[in-house]
Amino acid sequence: MAVHKTAPLKCWKKAKELREQYYRDYASAHERGGIRWTGGAWSFDAIPYGLGDDVYPLTGEPYAASIAFNREFSLECLEATEAKGWARDLCSYMRNYWGSMYLNRFLFGGPYPKPNFGFQDHICCSHAKWYQVVSEHEDFPYFSIDVSVGPYEEVRDDPHKIRYIVDQMHEAIEFMEQVTGREYDDEKLIEAVKNDCRSTSTWAKICELNKHVPAPLEEKTMYSLYVFGTLSKAKKEFADFYDELYDEVRERIEQGIAAIPDERCRLMSDTQPPWGFLKLFRYLETYGALSIGSLYTFGLIGNWETKPDGSWGARTTPMELGVEIDSRDKALEVLSEWTLSRPEWQHFYDPTLKTKMMAQIAKEWHVDGVMLHLNRGCEGLSCGIMQNRNGLVDTGLPVMTFEGNMGDEREFDMGRTTTRIESFMETLGLQPLETA
Amino acid sequence: MITIGVDVGAKNAKLLVLRDGEIVGKKSRESGFDQETVTNELLAATLAEFGIDRDEVTGICSTGAGRKAVQYAGDKITEVTAAARACFELYPDTKTVIDVGAEEGRAIRSGERGKVEDFAINEKCAAGSGAFTEAMARALEVSVDELGRISLKSDASVPMNAQCAVFAESEVISLLHARTPKQDIAKAIHDAIASRIVSMTRRVGLNKPVVLVGGMARNVGFIHSLNTAMQDEVRIPDAPEMIAAYGAALVAAERAVVAATETGASGPG
Amino acid sequence: MFSQFETWYRDRHDYARRWKERTGGKVFGCFCSYVPEEILVAADILPVRVLGNHEPQDVTEQHLFGMFCPFCRDVLAQGLKGRYEYLDGITIAQSCIHLRQTYRSWEENVPHDFTYYLPHPMHVASPHAVPYLYEELKKFRAAVEQFTGKPLSDDDLDRGIRLVNENRAALHELYAHRKGPVPKLSGLEAMWVTVSSMWVDKEEHTAELRKVLAQLDEREEQFGDGTRLMLVGSENDDTDFIRMVEAVGATVVTDDHCTGTRYFWNETPELDDRIEAIAKRYVERPACPAKDHVARTRFPHILKLARDFDVAGVILIQQKFCDPHEADMVPLRSYLEENGFPTLFLEFDVTVPMGQFRIRTEAFLEMLMEEDLF
Ligand code: SF4
Ligand code: SF4
Repeated sequence: MAVHKTAPLKCWKKAKELREQYYRDYASAHERGGIRWTGGAWSFDAIPYGLGDDVYPLTGEPYAASIAFNREFSLECLEATEAKGWARDLCSYMRNYWGSMYLNRFLFGGPYPKPNFGFQDHICCSHAKWYQVVSEHEDFPYFSIDVSVGPYEEVRDDPHKIRYIVDQMHEAIEFMEQVTGREYDDEKLIEAVKNDCRSTSTWAKICELNKHVPAPLEEKTMYSLYVFGTLSKAKKEFADFYDELYDEVRERIEQGIAAIPDERCRLMSDTQPPWGFLKLFRYLETYGALSIGSLYTFGLIGNWETKPDGSWGARTTPMELGVEIDSRDKALEVLSEWTLSRPEWQHFYDPTLKTKMMAQIAKEWHVDGVMLHLNRGCEGLSCGIMQNRNGLVDTGLPVMTFEGNMGDEREFDMGRTTTRIESFMETLGLQPLETA
Repeated sequence: MITIGVDVGAKNAKLLVLRDGEIVGKKSRESGFDQETVTNELLAATLAEFGIDRDEVTGICSTGAGRKAVQYAGDKITEVTAAARACFELYPDTKTVIDVGAEEGRAIRSGERGKVEDFAINEKCAAGSGAFTEAMARALEVSVDELGRISLKSDASVPMNAQCAVFAESEVISLLHARTPKQDIAKAIHDAIASRIVSMTRRVGLNKPVVLVGGMARNVGFIHSLNTAMQDEVRIPDAPEMIAAYGAALVAAERAVVAATETGASGPG
Repeated sequence: MFSQFETWYRDRHDYARRWKERTGGKVFGCFCSYVPEEILVAADILPVRVLGNHEPQDVTEQHLFGMFCPFCRDVLAQGLKGRYEYLDGITIAQSCIHLRQTYRSWEENVPHDFTYYLPHPMHVASPHAVPYLYEELKKFRAAVEQFTGKPLSDDDLDRGIRLVNENRAALHELYAHRKGPVPKLSGLEAMWVTVSSMWVDKEEHTAELRKVLAQLDEREEQFGDGTRLMLVGSENDDTDFIRMVEAVGATVVTDDHCTGTRYFWNETPELDDRIEAIAKRYVERPACPAKDHVARTRFPHILKLARDFDVAGVILIQQKFCDPHEADMVPLRSYLEENGFPTLFLEFDVTVPMGQFRIRTEAFLEMLMEEDLF
């Protein structure tokens, strides 16, 4: 019997349209004399916006996740990549993306839309390689920024680390001017940097609302929403959309609307889910369980900070702090500094930093158990995951792991995984809800 | 009170009857394709053989990969819960249960009254399960039983990598080509699986005493390798392959008692 | 002739323990060949590269997810089993993700007095790499000074640079003896020498190597009959494998491994600012694929080696799951083949299926011989 009211999100339709528009705009940009570039979900996408209002990115990770969601096309892509001789254990996003390129088929119709240039940043070993290969195959110019300067807590007091990144950004702007023949507009850059800070902070505010019991959102829905940050953090329309979404989720709480009708158990996950098998989350609901999110959905794009009272919340933006962003150099500095505090970047240097954040989420979001996806498809986010597991177990949380792959369905076994979840539910003392 | 546990695995369906905590009967047969029919027949045959009336049965609980096929089971639990519950009954001080069947290996950290505190399951690769010994026995052209026995004759230690079954198989063939004595290869195989299993068990903590159940608990070669790797003697119940069914029957009994107290009704006998 | 190196290779822990006893000095475990050894040597610290030992083990699964490379799991196992208990400190220069985890897990489970994670540029082809590393090396130097309680003077650094450079020069000379039509040593012997140079006191190693070099011209044993091969790829210190390859008719004459040429190939230049010189050296050394961005510098370097050492073919060695190398393998393979160097690709695990690899190596050698006929 339903205990809580539920209702679909009102802005769901808009989210769907915005996302479709994004891919359409990219594919058709050249018809309108615009610029296309490709790179990572973490690329400093604010920077190309300085080239004009008709600049459209194609970020690899969400594009590949969309492919993975379409299991048939994904298999074709993966096989096309394997046919070229690539190892099957490489990043499965990369392999899906490459496959789409090798097949010369764009998931949203037509041939692979060749970009004007590639623009990546590099923290995972696969990052710079990904577009090194793409740019060689498609023959376009490519720039990448190395951001691997260490965890944020060490960056804060060390201006040279920021300088290293800013210097590369300046070089990137010169590169973009050269390959596009356009003149760079610093005002547009400044606006884009502000949008980036706004959208990533607002997303965190939205996630904060999920501390509420019952949770207004469950993770499967959040996957469809955090995606805008991975498509283009610095895009004004997306930052605006997050503002709207924030209002709606707050309203849900006020009206007592919950994500699932009978919330009995709050879980937290980690790393990308196996995209072809999101019904896993529906299966949890048969136990009255839901995932309130993860460091992944919260902190892949969202930007956070520890508040004076010790709690975890959205990071205060430079605009809120009254920081004046009045030059190209200042904008780049703000952008670097802002981005380096990204939660999902910290474990690349030290997994114990991630464990701490995860434990904090578990506490403040009232989590009863943790499901860690040992994701064979992503070396980057799986980095240190067993250390995280051990650290969480030490805090007394029940933790289960399941192996899979976010983008290669051949490495995921739905049957076995559901059995494992059942065992986990049994250890948490849960039984399937009676279906009326 | 009579309760029944049914364990439906990929290969065999096993049924165990419990009367007031005592095992009074067990039976198994191949589970085949139509698990529903097989388990129906199994129940009928068991009731007939042990002269039990269907109405006398207070609760039935199924477990195993095919547990959902058992229409008449009021409760369904996973093998993890079942194994831990059964081992607690047999050895109340159990800390760790290792369950190695044909398909997969599992390690369970068992808490108070056999409550599962944590568990690990080996992932898709067959290298940590019974299927692996079967494949390797075929490569060596011996039976699985023989593989276990001959490996006890060896005290060689041939390193073999069991991260991946395919890799391991080619290592076995390499060893055969190099004329390594079969008994040494057999031991290498069991050492390799034991290493895989111990490695997995460490994920939940290798706390002693350890109970070994599942089909592989019949393999003397594996037991020897496992004991060596853990520097301990694992405990092995008399019918290690019946453990899950036993655990299921115990859970059925417990739940019957709880249900009876909740509804205020008193159970039969 | 090479028995001392073989002993050092085999009894690495005994060596380090005795070195400690003898000198009273400190020993640091280095997790990557990008660790600036010059600074450690200048501080009278013995740098010891931490490697695996090619034994199956059951202690890392709870710490490291199985999709990370077997080498990094093997390394962690050594730490967890206490094989490196004599280390006073550990340090890593940031390279691939896999090894970082090993380092962090080791740090968490095996306590040492000194630990240092050295951030290190990942785009060595970028003009910003040297200035960035320069700043990081200054901090590293300060941390080492603080640990030893003794500031490093320019003289100290000069001595560190000299000792390491001298060893590199001697290793270069050794490799020169593999260049001619009749190599003076086997690939196995070369592996003992280069790999042991990663933990033996530089001065001692150089002196022993100089002794060998002085006798090499007169050496009677010859290695000119084997088909000349090069090894390229992930970390590789597997002596059993190289022994097998050479037993079936090949002579390994050069390599591109972080346990081989990549480790010693270029020297630290003479500059007024010693730290800058060291930064330059590590940015300009032959790149690890994890750092070879954005322009590829690695491929032309490998090609040059293959030509200079006149190899007939290349064995590409790939540690299973090693993303950096996997991501280079396909283009590298076609690059080498387009330039006339046939390749054989082999995937390595902690132990290798020797029988299978032997068959493939033999087939590869037969193919190379056939090509000779035309
Ligand atoms: S492995 Fe993961 S972090 Fe690395 S590029 Fe792929 S998706 Fe990104
Ligand atoms: S470069 Fe490859 S072999 Fe070396 S540690 Fe990294 S993943 Fe392992």
